[in-house]
Amino acid sequence: MLLLSIFGFTFAQDNLEELKRQLEEQRRQIRELEKKIEALEKQKPEATKEVKKEQEPAPTDRSLQLRSKYDERLKALQITPTSQRSFLNLSLIVDTSFVARNKNDREFKHLEIPGLYHRHEGNGHGHGTLNEKRGFNLNYAELYLYAPVDPYFDLYATIPFSEDGAEVEEAYAVTRGLPFGFQFKVGKFRSSFGRLNAQHPHAWDFANPPLVYKVFLGDDGLKEKGVQLNWLAPTPFYLLFGMEVLQGENEQSFGTEGFKVNTKDDGSGTDITIGDTKKPNLYVGFVKTSFDVGNLSFLTGLSFATGHTRIDHLDGDHPHAFAGKTKLYGFDLTAKYMIDSYRDISLQGEYLYRDQKGTKYEYDDSTLETDELKKKQGGFYTQLVFKFDKRWRAGVQYNLINKNDVKKNGVKEDLPNNLPAYYAMLEYSPTEFSRIRFQVGQNRAFFHDGKRETVNEFILQFNFAIGAHGAHPF
Amino acid sequence: MRVLAVLLLLFSISFAQLKVIATYPWIGELVKEVGKDRVSLYVIAKGTDDPHFVVPKPSHIAKMRDADLLIVQGASLEVGFLPPLLQQSNNPKIQPGRQGYLDLSQFVDLIEKPVNISRAMGDVHPEGNPHYQLDPHNIPPLAKAIEERLCQLDSPNCAHYRGNLEDFLKRWNARLTEWDREFAKLKGIKVIQYHKLYDYLLQRYGMVLVGTLEPLPGIPPTGKHIEGLISQAQGVKFILQDVYHEKRTAQFVAQRLNAKVVILPHEVGAVPEAKDLFSLFDEILRRLSQ
Repeated sequence: MLLLSIFGFTFAQDNLEELKRQLEEQRRQIRELEKKIEALEKQKPEATKEVKKEQEPAPTDRSLQLRSKYDERLKALQITPTSQRSFLNLSLIVDTSFVARNKNDREFKHLEIPGLYHRHEGNGHGHGTLNEKRGFNLNYAELYLYAPVDPYFDLYATIPFSEDGAEVEEAYAVTRGLPFGFQFKVGKFRSSFGRLNAQHPHAWDFANPPLVYKVFLGDDGLKEKGVQLNWLAPTPFYLLFGMEVLQGENEQSFGTEGFKVNTKDDGSGTDITIGDTKKPNLYVGFVKTSFDVGNLSFLTGLSFATGHTRIDHLDGDHPHAFAGKTKLYGFDLTAKYMIDSYRDISLQGEYLYRDQKGTKYEYDDSTLETDELKKKQGGFYTQLVFKFDKRWRAGVQYNLINKNDVKKNGVKEDLPNNLPAYYAMLEYSPTEFSRIRFQVGQNRAFFHDGKRETVNEFILQFNFAIGAHGAHPF
Repeated sequence: MRVLAVLLLLFSISFAQLKVIATYPWIGELVKEVGKDRVSLYVIAKGTDDPHFVVPKPSHIAKMRDADLLIVQGASLEVGFLPPLLQQSNNPKIQPGRQGYLDLSQFVDLIEKPVNISRAMGDVHPEGNPHYQLDPHNIPPLAKAIEERLCQLDSPNCAHYRGNLEDFLKRWNARLTEWDREFAKLKGIKVIQYHKLYDYLLQRYGMVLVGTLEPLPGIPPTGKHIEGLISQAQGVKFILQDVYHEKRTAQFVAQRLNAKVVILPHEVGAVPEAKDLFSLFDEILRRLSQ
């Protein structure tokens, strides 16, 4: 036994010696390899230079043959227009502001527009309410990505980050090869309803969305999952028809999720269940046309949206819910006069009208009341923006909601129908990639406990963009 | 199948004219020379526009819908207005990478190609200086490139295009000899320009660029930069001023340097005298020779 163990030990030691030798051998090999790599690396720059030289199309030679080969290579890459030579166009847009307001943040949060708008705690991601707090705001840091997928589709994505998180605001593909003037869009996108809705906030002429957009489409606008088909008519002037089938989850006018409401506010009564809407829920149609008269360009459009509505604010301070149907109508007109390459005057306006019918569930002294509600509401904004220098723009915007007819069980409610807001801005853009905007405004549409609360506001807004060159707006 | 072929043929005959869109007037002039009556032409920008800042009007989209060929200057010059127009044109034929998309910048040697690039350097184009139309020697290969593409898209009329090209080249080369002779007299003169717009012309004919009024491409003149320019510059003969920028700075600098402001067309239609490509260079020569 002992002998065996001694033998075993010596054998092990032999093995150890053998291992040590092998290790030493391997170390030597590694050193040799390292030396070889070093030597190769020294040669490498010259080698790559040579390869580069070969790849570059002969510079002084104007031979078309070479160029068309180059052309072929670009064709294979499916480059984006006007040759930004990369597979992905990426940009980051940062919007930050300083706000001074005559209402403190708590007061401001609890303001409402009777029959039209009240604040409900949302998820707080994405754009949400811009310039919400007094003092400094980081409105968003928005990631924008664009690239052709293949010869058949382009893909776009907009991902705004807020301090609390990120949201996929838009992620959609658009066809690039449909015949006969058709184009198809699928994914989540800003609806082409109206003029301003499809534009990103950084392309807006004022720091906040117009009042009619806020009340009918919400602070984020109408952005939905779905599809769009549009057709550009073969006319000598611009004429575009389009329709969209959308999920219809918009918090101000639509919504898909049903709810359960108890006849007593303490839950001791019986439950009434309102089912989900059919999904998809929202249908949008639009027609847009444009024509020029000399240096004056007109762009005008009609839009229509129809869908079911589910609003569930049962968890709020004043629990209530609504189920019904909503129709939205929009008319927009832009007239832009180009003075020269740097100066223009633009007059733009939109009228929005909402026709909403349904049942409102609300507690009155702890018992549930169900009321038949009919809303016919409308308003507009109109703005004049003068770009008087390559770097400077000034503008005024007038907002008015002038129709606010709400009938509860056939009886007209006494609601204000003269809800204006005024804004003026002065903008300085050192380049196309940076912008500083001063905006002053007065909003006389807000109420608190039935009393009108005038909001005076000053906003200093900074907007920066890095990355791919964005297009100039019309 | 045969019926379909006949129908297609009839269709193509009834729409015999090839529809061509050019982003800038000088490209349109080349298309006119090569295509003549076999093409219909629509030009997006005006000669008096700043080529970097063309408004993407929706009316252009309607014209692009049915186009067979879109010819662009390239080198990111159109990046501010062409992508949205193309995207909304709903026309697969003229998308980049297709045969109906022709980027002329690929047929010339771009100068001033930056080694590295940052927006802190102003509006620098990664591909190089895009204003290559101002070297008259660049025109013949571009005319040839357009002729080749027209032939590819419309082979029945190829002989016609070839004939037009030959005719054009003959006339152009004749003028080119004259221009070369006349411009040679300007060799060595010192100039200042507003933007790096005339570099191809200056380089071709050996004129010396002392500086630009813009401190960086696309950034308007600043007092400090102008003072620096004035203190360094000596013996400057001309301040070359384009038609679309403000002219006060040029006049101020000219007065201080005892130089002369010359408003130089960069493009067909920029000044009334520059009616076509020939008169564009005639006019440039005339204005620099006075």
